[in-house]
Amino acid sequence: MLRLLTTLHKELLLLLRDWVGLLVLFVMPAVLVIVITLVQDNAMQALGQGATEVVLVNEDAEAVGRRIETALDAVAGIELVKAVRGRPADRSAALSAVARGDFQVGLIIPAGLTAAVRAEARQWAQAAFSPRSRTATGGHEKARLELRFDPTVLGAVRSAVKSQVQLLLLRIEMEEKMAALSHLLPRGLQAAGTEASGLPGTDPVLEADTPTADQQDPQPLLVVAEDTALSEGSTPVPNAVQQNVPAWSLFGIFFIVLPMAGSFIKERRCGVQRRMLSMPVAYLTLAVGKVGAYMLVCCVQIGLILAIGRWLLPLMGTPAFQIGPWPASNLAVALSAIAAATGYGILLGTAIETYEQASMFGPISVVIAAALGGIMVPVHAMPHVMQQLSHVSPMGWAQEAFLELFVRGGGFGAVSGSICKLLAFAAVCIAAACALFVRKRRQGKI
Amino acid sequence: MRQNIKEAWETVMATPSAPILEVTDLVKRYNRAARPALDGLSLKVRPGEILGLLGPNGAGKTTAVSIISTILRPSSGRVTVCGIDLWKTPRRARPHIGLVPQEIALYAELTAWENLAFFGRLQALRGARLKERMASALAAVGLEAKAHQKIATFSGGMQRRINLAVGILHAPRLLLLDEPTVGIDPQSRQLILEKLQTIKQEGTAMLYTTHYMEEAQQLCDRVAIMDNGRILCQGPPQDLISAQAPCCSLGELFLHLTGKELRD
Repeated sequence: MLRLLTTLHKELLLLLRDWVGLLVLFVMPAVLVIVITLVQDNAMQALGQGATEVVLVNEDAEAVGRRIETALDAVAGIELVKAVRGRPADRSAALSAVARGDFQVGLIIPAGLTAAVRAEARQWAQAAFSPRSRTATGGHEKARLELRFDPTVLGAVRSAVKSQVQLLLLRIEMEEKMAALSHLLPRGLQAAGTEASGLPGTDPVLEADTPTADQQDPQPLLVVAEDTALSEGSTPVPNAVQQNVPAWSLFGIFFIVLPMAGSFIKERRCGVQRRMLSMPVAYLTLAVGKVGAYMLVCCVQIGLILAIGRWLLPLMGTPAFQIGPWPASNLAVALSAIAAATGYGILLGTAIETYEQASMFGPISVVIAAALGGIMVPVHAMPHVMQQLSHVSPMGWAQEAFLELFVRGGGFGAVSGSICKLLAFAAVCIAAACALFVRKRRQGKI
Repeated sequence: MRQNIKEAWETVMATPSAPILEVTDLVKRYNRAARPALDGLSLKVRPGEILGLLGPNGAGKTTAVSIISTILRPSSGRVTVCGIDLWKTPRRARPHIGLVPQEIALYAELTAWENLAFFGRLQALRGARLKERMASALAAVGLEAKAHQKIATFSGGMQRRINLAVGILHAPRLLLLDEPTVGIDPQSRQLILEKLQTIKQEGTAMLYTTHYMEEAQQLCDRVAIMDNGRILCQGPPQDLISAQAPCCSLGELFLHLTGKELRD
């Protein structure tokens, strides 16, 4: 244990004296999080491209429901999905899938929509001919469609989908109103003619009263209820701060691979590793001590970036970063991401021969993993092929877990899959590094 | 652990002729290599003896040092240090071994004192004993005044001296020196050679590899000249020179035995 602490102490001393390395580790992610968050605070509302997946639940088996479905299916940029995990979607499954982030939008067409819309249209038409009957329609509950958004969906995507749905509903509404008017018009004209001739016997439903523009009900027949899909017990605060602070924290901690791999390579090339292997201490103890020091640095890094999000960014006009209701889950995701980053650092440090190679390969691989993982552009805003590729990025797993906690308000259950993937990645990297180390040692390359 | 070291040392001292290091029929084959790097190497080093291991590049010197320092596992053969089988119980043997690698195996951004403290703790030295050994090692290489300077600020000669100080820090019974004086100033070299003589008088056995023949002739009690993984001759330098007329120096003998063609 004392030897492990000795190694840890030595490694921290070396890190403290490496000013350039510290700049890379702390200042770079700190500057990135400030700049990108401030830039995206407005820009995120104007981004978004590619097809938006909308999970549709049509509980209305009648004409209006079918027309909405057909019309939405024909909209370019909207991809209708009617099944969740291979089963026909119902309301609860669809809302859960949107809350999980499986789909960006959920649209629920309620049962009885056609009947409700037609009744509304009839009443509207009657009111048009008979102002006195209008009072009877007042306070009537409107037919209501539910539109739910994944909290990570960009503002532009929200606006586009909502506008499309509203335009569509307006068209259907006009058609239904016209149909109701066409149905009542002959009787209305007859009533008007009777009144003009002074004869009794007007239609009891319609009284002679020519509809005027100011008498028409301005309220729509169909209403869209828009909301953000969130897990239970969540505190929804979807904004650029909630997305960027964890994202750039991850970017920073994965940059630990550069000094870490460099440290392994230096020790190997300057003979320190040979000297340590000849000493009465297990090399595993030395490696654990070294990794422990870098893990501590990562923890400090995350703390710094979160503090910037919490206290510094609000001074520049953004909302404050919210930790959310699941601190233990946050910690579990952070530690798993740190394990994945340090595991990757060990592998690079063992596999790569020179510091120059590590300083090229390490940062480039981290930037690629960050881009694929949705650190720079949200995964759902990427082309389909890139979305598929994003599943192989450890940074993407960690980012998805942080979004689940900080944006969707999910708990440990929602992030356990990502945690397992990150830990498995760390284990595979360390196992590969051990195998390489044993091979190099056998070949006398140490 | 210190008790183990003490017991092993007492066993060795009770039989003065018992070698500290005994290498028997050592073979090392690397994967895909045309010939073995070591091919039946056998040698012994007794307490207070310096054995010079000489050979051209690729002769197998560094492989031999790597195996004896427990870094590399041999294909076959046996190595004992203070009577302990190196590959059966390497953890028991390691406290008796001090390694001075060919490279400056130190942390350049740490001070001399911090380097000594780190490696000393890995050698299980603690507290007052650690401080005493660190001060002694620094004094031995003449760098007490520079203890708190970073290694990166040291000259090549000073770095070599600290490299030696780390190797002798835990007072090993077997000191493995892999070209410890390469590329340094004459004063530092002289200091190192004098210090090695002092250590020798304290009973430490040493295996010394070098390309400097005059240095080996001056320092070593015996030399072993090897090539292609085999020992070509072994004995006191003067005896070997006398036996190979018309050679009149170790350098001439070395070239006579290993040839004049370049080795890369």
